[in-house]
Amino acid sequence: MNSYRRVMNTLGGLPVDRPPVFAVLGAYGAALTGCDLRTLYSDPAAYLAGQKAVQESYGFDLVLAPFDFSAISEAFGGETVWGRLQTPNVRRPPAGSVAEALAMPLPSLSSTGRLPVALEATRGLARCYKEEVPVIAVLPGPGVFPALLIGLESWLETVLFEPDQAARLLAHSAHFLIAFADALLEAGADCLVFTEGMASAEIAPRELFAEAILPHLTDVLRAINGPKVISSTGGRMNHVLDLLPGLPGVVGAIVGSRDDIAESRRLTPPGFNLIGNLDNLAFASAGSAKIGRLALDCLSVAAPAGHFVLSNSGGDLPQETPAANLKAFKESVSLHRAGHGEVA
Amino acid sequence: MSSSGAGCDCEGLYRQLLDAMINANRARAAEVVESALAGGIPPAEVITHILDPAIVELGTRWEGESISLAQNFIASKIAEDALLRCLPDREDPDCRKGVAVIGNIEDDFHSLGRRTVGLFLGAAGWQVVDLGNDVPAEQFLEKALEVGARVIGVSAMMQTTAINIKKLRELIDREGERDHIKLAVGGAVFNWRPELVTEVGGDGTTRNAIGADQLFTALQEQALARELSS
Repeated sequence: MNSYRRVMNTLGGLPVDRPPVFAVLGAYGAALTGCDLRTLYSDPAAYLAGQKAVQESYGFDLVLAPFDFSAISEAFGGETVWGRLQTPNVRRPPAGSVAEALAMPLPSLSSTGRLPVALEATRGLARCYKEEVPVIAVLPGPGVFPALLIGLESWLETVLFEPDQAARLLAHSAHFLIAFADALLEAGADCLVFTEGMASAEIAPRELFAEAILPHLTDVLRAINGPKVISSTGGRMNHVLDLLPGLPGVVGAIVGSRDDIAESRRLTPPGFNLIGNLDNLAFASAGSAKIGRLALDCLSVAAPAGHFVLSNSGGDLPQETPAANLKAFKESVSLHRAGHGEVA
Repeated sequence: MSSSGAGCDCEGLYRQLLDAMINANRARAAEVVESALAGGIPPAEVITHILDPAIVELGTRWEGESISLAQNFIASKIAEDALLRCLPDREDPDCRKGVAVIGNIEDDFHSLGRRTVGLFLGAAGWQVVDLGNDVPAEQFLEKALEVGARVIGVSAMMQTTAINIKKLRELIDREGERDHIKLAVGGAVFNWRPELVTEVGGDGTTRNAIGADQLFTALQEQALARELSS
């Protein structure tokens, strides 16, 4: 059973030889191929080489299109900060106010900044791995997307105190987000992950998410074809998890590392896929035996019901993550033995 | 948390204010502060016996992860509203605990935590000099020397920017100010990686804004004690 079939069967509730396993290793590819991060995220061939190296080294069940939101902010006119070891980040958002953001033209996907890199790298991954290893692409969630344009603080202030302006910016930014999502699917992404920070308990309470964000999230997801997964970017999301099943095209959620995954299962209906939920920071700081144990603990709780993908929760794993930890993580799914929805 | 001010129903008002903060009701919070002032409670007592306890309780809830960043943000705004309303009393220089210079280190633009720290320090009686985002090491030290601050508070959200704090550590040491000016560091990354405090040369940290007063007070006392003993 190849990774593509394993993942698709898991999502569909069909038998699998073992649960799928995945680690977010975008920037990690640079460490394996010896290129710098600026090159990795600016050159589709370099990014593709990085993912191939990750795949050859560890054989996880998904490959990752460039997970780099700074490219989006940059395309709108923002500045990027480049680190030696971490994925690029937004240094200065493109707009200083909602009014400025609303006045900005939407960037061209095919010609602005590094946006074409994401699309070309996705095409490359799809060519390499079509129907062998699923390609996932990650996008900012519709509710938090405006934070890339005006900064998180300004966005929170707008959502909380200027709901009309917030609604205008959400609508404005949705045009770009939908077009980008469609383009990634067209380029060959098999599934889209939306990292919706506003669904994180650390960012917003349930009421704010439900009232100010969920209707917009629903509308945007309805406008995008293809299977979709919601992530809280590593933060806890059990407080809103019951609101996600049934959203248009949403097949699962990446729960936070501090969410009780047994509770996640109780909160969601049978057939809803859960993904997670090992802590990113543990990968760099713990030993391989501990990573293996944490993974097995997670599997023992979440895998028996099927519809589960073992993964880290959050963004890129630290580059200093030892290879032994990633191997222990991968091997945990082989050590784990059958439950419902699995065949030994 | 309890609150008692001489001659006022501060306990009741504190609870009303806390309720308004938790429920993100900025207008209701303003009403509570106005009613306290209209009832004859001096602005300093409004801060000490009504606002401060509410902030402390919110800090406890933030630490216990029972409130979100959005709620914390609203609480900061409400605290800012209340402080501005009561500001004339805070201008009494005799009430000041000291001068604190704060800012986000070079390349860091995540200002929410820093602003919250500034508000809480102000509420606690500090004169706060906020240098804003993306502040070079030289500017921090220059301003601290200019205003006589014994504590510089530097914020960074990410590891990539937190590393820049080392430049300020090195500058303070090179200029012979190590015993006179203490370096408080904070920001999300320090909560995730506490060992980073030592790595960047910080003299202390706090997990949240509510601890800033205690941290700055302790560091200022250290600096002054060294000065007296030398």
